[in-house]
Amino acid sequence: MKKITIEDLEYISLGSTILGTGGGGNPYIGKLLAKQAIQAYGDVTLIKAHELDNDALVVPVAAFGAPMILVEKLFSAEEFYNAFDMMENYLGRKIDAVMPVEAGGLNGIIPFAVAAKKRIPIVDADGMGRAFPRLEMTTFTLHGIPASPITQADEKGNRNLYHTIDNTWGETLVGATTIQMGGSCAVTCYSMSGAEVKKSAVHDTISYAKILGESVLNAKKNQLNPISALMQQTQAFKLFSGKISNISMKTEGRWNTGICEIDGLEEDNGSKMEIDFQNEFLIAKKNGEPAAITPDLIVLLDAENAHPITAETIQYGTRVIVIGIKADKQWRTAAGIVLGGPEKFGYTEKFIPIELLNAKQ
Amino acid sequence: MFYKIGVDVGGTNTDAVLVSNADEIIAKTKQTTTSDISSGIENAISEVLSQSKIPKELIKYIMLGTTHCTNALVERKELNKVGAIRIGLPAGSAIPIMTDFPEDLKKMLEKHCYMVNGGYEYDGRLLNPLNEMQIKACLLKMKGEVESLAITGIFSKINADQEIQVKDWAKEILGDDIKVSCSFQIGGLGLLDRENACILNAALHGVALKMVHAFRATVSRLQLNAQLFIGQNDGTLMSLEQVQQFPIHTISSGPTNSIRGAGLMSKVKNGIVIDVGGTTSDAGALINFFPRESTQATEIGGVLTNFRMPDVVSVGIGGGTIVRFDHDVCTLGPDSVGFRLKEKSIAFGGDTLTLSDFFIADNQLQLNDVLQKRELVAKISSTLLISYEQALELVKTEIQQKIEKLVDALKNNADEVSVVGCGGGAFLLPKKIAGVSEVLFPRDMEVANAFGVCIAKISSEEEIVINTMCADEKEEMQKLLDKAKSNLLSKGAKQETIAVLIKEAVPLAYLPGAMLLRIKLFGDLNN
Repeated sequence: MKKITIEDLEYISLGSTILGTGGGGNPYIGKLLAKQAIQAYGDVTLIKAHELDNDALVVPVAAFGAPMILVEKLFSAEEFYNAFDMMENYLGRKIDAVMPVEAGGLNGIIPFAVAAKKRIPIVDADGMGRAFPRLEMTTFTLHGIPASPITQADEKGNRNLYHTIDNTWGETLVGATTIQMGGSCAVTCYSMSGAEVKKSAVHDTISYAKILGESVLNAKKNQLNPISALMQQTQAFKLFSGKISNISMKTEGRWNTGICEIDGLEEDNGSKMEIDFQNEFLIAKKNGEPAAITPDLIVLLDAENAHPITAETIQYGTRVIVIGIKADKQWRTAAGIVLGGPEKFGYTEKFIPIELLNAKQ
Repeated sequence: MFYKIGVDVGGTNTDAVLVSNADEIIAKTKQTTTSDISSGIENAISEVLSQSKIPKELIKYIMLGTTHCTNALVERKELNKVGAIRIGLPAGSAIPIMTDFPEDLKKMLEKHCYMVNGGYEYDGRLLNPLNEMQIKACLLKMKGEVESLAITGIFSKINADQEIQVKDWAKEILGDDIKVSCSFQIGGLGLLDRENACILNAALHGVALKMVHAFRATVSRLQLNAQLFIGQNDGTLMSLEQVQQFPIHTISSGPTNSIRGAGLMSKVKNGIVIDVGGTTSDAGALINFFPRESTQATEIGGVLTNFRMPDVVSVGIGGGTIVRFDHDVCTLGPDSVGFRLKEKSIAFGGDTLTLSDFFIADNQLQLNDVLQKRELVAKISSTLLISYEQALELVKTEIQQKIEKLVDALKNNADEVSVVGCGGGAFLLPKKIAGVSEVLFPRDMEVANAFGVCIAKISSEEEIVINTMCADEKEEMQKLLDKAKSNLLSKGAKQETIAVLIKEAVPLAYLPGAMLLRIKLFGDLNN
């Protein structure tokens, strides 16, 4: 059990952006929302999954919508409280703790606002350990935990309750109504017991995000290079060092997809890296050969200050370091690879773990 | 035949150029910036007039580049008492107005912040209607306590009607003299960034007014009857009326002016400009004679805004940069003696070793009142454990490496580019740089800034979100283009010079069919 203060939010917010692997929405808005809530209602208690009673009721909370909408039509916070209350009423019992569905990006930090307001703890775990573009792409799905019932609320006061036959339908239906609500809303889903959290969640992801953020933001204070400080904390693989040489983007269905090309510098001089993204970075290839493949995490960092770069802010000429982080082991099972691996995104490549791709010959 | 005068007011120097209508420089000067600003401008203009002997009646345009508004924000000086209204409840209540402002600025500005019902959805549907009673009650509270007002509505970029309605009510209650800034005219999508820019704009009205008055008064004291303009951050011009409405757009016009000025002086259309000053070398990329814009959010006086600023990379190399040696390891800066070169540096009898000392000793820089070469070399040597020749070599190698890194950071690809040097410290730049086809030093490079504002064009920009499932993208783009064009013509552009600077259609993630269209046009002044 640990108190999370407003200062901690700075670290968690940066760490969430790193875990966002280029997508997940910018946590800046989430950070402001959570800060306001903590100022109004006090610090939040972060608890480990093993501290939960097996029959405790845990409900994940998330923002759902388009990144562009989230920065224009800002949240009122009421939509989150409404979705939460609706779930509590529907289930007919008090919710004991909230949890992020997605540790990467905006949704890694939004649940702090609900935890502060409802004065309940937040569980140090999530359903991805990173960011993914669809509601059903969670480790909860791998354990057969239904997203349903799902509650949904918008800032105007509209509310919906969904019973869906599977988690993919959850994404489809909530996605469709979100557009009618004006492109953004709050959802709660995957309500589960403490025992289910222990078994199915990716553990310790909030404290991991905090450590990542601390290592980058405190590097200067400790006279360390922020990149090496981060590498020490993550046990990440340094995949490439270079400069953005081209970026091409288009929209397919609901997502921004594209390819980011990087020309090598220093030890990678003469080499080239290409990163495919669909909101998140999905495949990194060095000289045509895969160097990291989803669900393993691919992170693009500014070489100067180790701040993560999201797919929509990639800029020609930026000096970058590409790092890769092993996905949680649940993503590396056969079922995990079907749900979060390259074929789910339409690639023909097969998943190969990052440590094998980067084994020293 | 007519002439133009460009004036650039910097922290240290006020530069001026007198230019023909074919953009040839006839006269130039560097004067000291005065604390009242206007006498410095007056001196600079008088000097180019007397140098060139051009009759005053042939001066048709005078353009001013100034850091006035930037400084006012950074130093928190002379800011107006502002009121701020955000239209959009119930959305946005969790993140109030000025949430992420620096504390000191917030304290100065936050007394009258109100969030009221209203706003639109991204597709133009009404989010919430306005409540006249509620808004007028807020306005009444502000009466007599605010000098200017910032109005920001959710998705006002899609529909500005509510912002305009609130503006009308504000005039009704607060009187016609109240200065109102509406966000739809100030920034792009992204509520907080646009609202922040709108508030800063409102806070700058007084400063802008004073600046405009001073500029006008100076020009009329000189008995000039020219049309006056002020440069903005995208390399285009604003009339003095526009400056009073949108002072925020003058922020950071300095780097833009020097990049554009150096580009046109050297006839380099695409390349890299390095402006070497007393403390830093600032480099930017030129694309079609305009600076490449940065995609990163910009902070102004500690406040996050979404202004598109030129993408500038800096390194601590300037004329006053302090040079230190640890045996045979040479470190340049990053600190500098800055404008105190003439009292601090060894060449002027001081005790601080600067880059200028080496270049004077090496005969690459000629200045008055400096030590003789032999004496200077002896004095430099006395501070070193290695020979002067060895030290000079180390200094040059260090500059070479840093400048090469700087150039490399701005290059888009491995192709060789042209580099244009400018600014008072351009003598420091290496004559050969790896990955660079040529290093050019235009004749008038020390006044690139003033030249840059003098050749600025006028522009107009439009932005909209459309739904491609029910609207035709091409048709909508054409409408936007026509709107921008007629706006530009009404600002005084010459029809046949109008060209497209930016034309983009960006699909929006997670919103099927939604597309952001953006157009930016520019043209020459109608003459």
